[in-house]
Amino acid sequence: MSSDLSINGLSVNYGPVEALYDVSFDVPRGQIAALVGSNGAGKSTVLKTICGLVAPSGGEIRVGGEIVTPRPGDALKLGVAMSPEGRRLFPRLSVEENLLMGAYTVSDGAASRDMLSRVFGYFPRLKERRRQMAGSLSGGEQQMAAIGRALMAQPKLLLLDEPSLGIAPIIVAELGKIITEINRDLGMTVLLVEQNANMALSLAETGIVLETGRVTMSGSGRELLASPEIRAAYLGI
Amino acid sequence: MSFLIAQSLINGVILGTLYLMMAIGFTLVFGIMRIVNFAHGEFYMIGAFMALIGVTWLGLPYAATLALTVVFAVLLGALVERVVFRPFRSDELSGMIASLGLAMILQNGALIFFGPDPQAFPAMVSGVLRFGDLIIPKSRALTLGIGVVVLIGFYVLLMHTRFGRGLRALVQDQQVAALYGVRLEIMYPLGLGLGIALAAVAGALMAPLFGVSPFIGAAPLLKAFIVVILGGLGSIPGAALAALLLGLIESFTSSFVSASAADIVTFALVVAVLLIRPSGILGRGEA
Repeated sequence: MSSDLSINGLSVNYGPVEALYDVSFDVPRGQIAALVGSNGAGKSTVLKTICGLVAPSGGEIRVGGEIVTPRPGDALKLGVAMSPEGRRLFPRLSVEENLLMGAYTVSDGAASRDMLSRVFGYFPRLKERRRQMAGSLSGGEQQMAAIGRALMAQPKLLLLDEPSLGIAPIIVAELGKIITEINRDLGMTVLLVEQNANMALSLAETGIVLETGRVTMSGSGRELLASPEIRAAYLGI
Repeated sequence: MSFLIAQSLINGVILGTLYLMMAIGFTLVFGIMRIVNFAHGEFYMIGAFMALIGVTWLGLPYAATLALTVVFAVLLGALVERVVFRPFRSDELSGMIASLGLAMILQNGALIFFGPDPQAFPAMVSGVLRFGDLIIPKSRALTLGIGVVVLIGFYVLLMHTRFGRGLRALVQDQQVAALYGVRLEIMYPLGLGLGIALAAVAGALMAPLFGVSPFIGAAPLLKAFIVVILGGLGSIPGAALAALLLGLIESFTSSFVSASAADIVTFALVVAVLLIRPSGILGRGEA
């Protein structure tokens, strides 16, 4: 099976602190994969490194077979878009302008308009609030806008960093459903980073567990959800 | 009396346009570089000298001179970004000090090249426009017209184009803007260049009305500060309102009382706004 994302022996240091050590995993094309682990395990660092926001000290990242260099914007060219941790919308741009920023490098206007109407289809609330400043949205709406913005880049690989963070459980369930729909309808590969292991693993076909910068387990989402270690460590059961 | 009122009104609106151009450029530079640019007024002065060189030395038409001023100012701004400001990006204190140094270099450079004496600028057009009793010198109408067109053009560029959206996104979150393909290495120099070009165009527009000397930059810089304080940092409608208000207050007070009274009234207004509404007339809480 071909992989959309292939990470091989990735190491990242923040000064003397080792954030990732020899991390390797693949995300097969068209799948939803979940990267789970506790706070500080290095999950966000993996995504930032893929997007070129953090430079690795070793190893390589391939997207669709091509090596990604650590420059912001490079991953975008290879079809990677990220919804960053904490949503990071442009607060004084309107909701619609935020979405359009996702399509900043998309030159095909018709394709962008098409994607915009799809995003409004997934998240009707964004359409209602399209003229409102993004900073005035609720947490859940902001998360929808952040996911929508990433979709607007028309990526092959969608990276979602902690979409459930600080959001009401009922909205988390709704987001989970929409992520599955996006994956199915648009054929987008999704890499989901979550502390909420329950939500992430129940959506994902592949699960990877990260602990203090190392991959400690991987398997299908269902397997991991059923494993006693995972249940004890992350699900509090 | 009604002639005096009409005259003051026109002068006030012209001053307001000038102050708004200064304030918007100043705010843009602050937003992009996080640097309080004390050299902003010197770019106004350079714009005025460029217009003088273009029109009297090279004998170019005024329109061509204005266009050249914009191009030159954008390039100069890009150069200044690279050489002076880039090392201090996000280092507000050092950046501010660097801009003070830059202001001194530019002003003294102009002093060496052009000497300290004010230079007359030939009128671009002569004659007056009559609307009933109202008489407006054509030169002032021209300045006002071009100023308004430049401001509207700038507003459309900033608010309704992909480039402007990218620039505003960059001001709000540099990292995420880069993530979505905004190219910082182009946007920083270009954004700074545009901010500086607004000051230079203001200088070139006002040169025929107010004359040219190496020292003319200080007052517009001060007024840009005042507009930003009155209007609220980052609020374009607030800045427009404040600039117009400031221009009108100045022109009416100097016509009917005296020029020094105009400064007193202006600063009293600044003190009042800072006491009563520190975020500015239409400003938000944070910068």
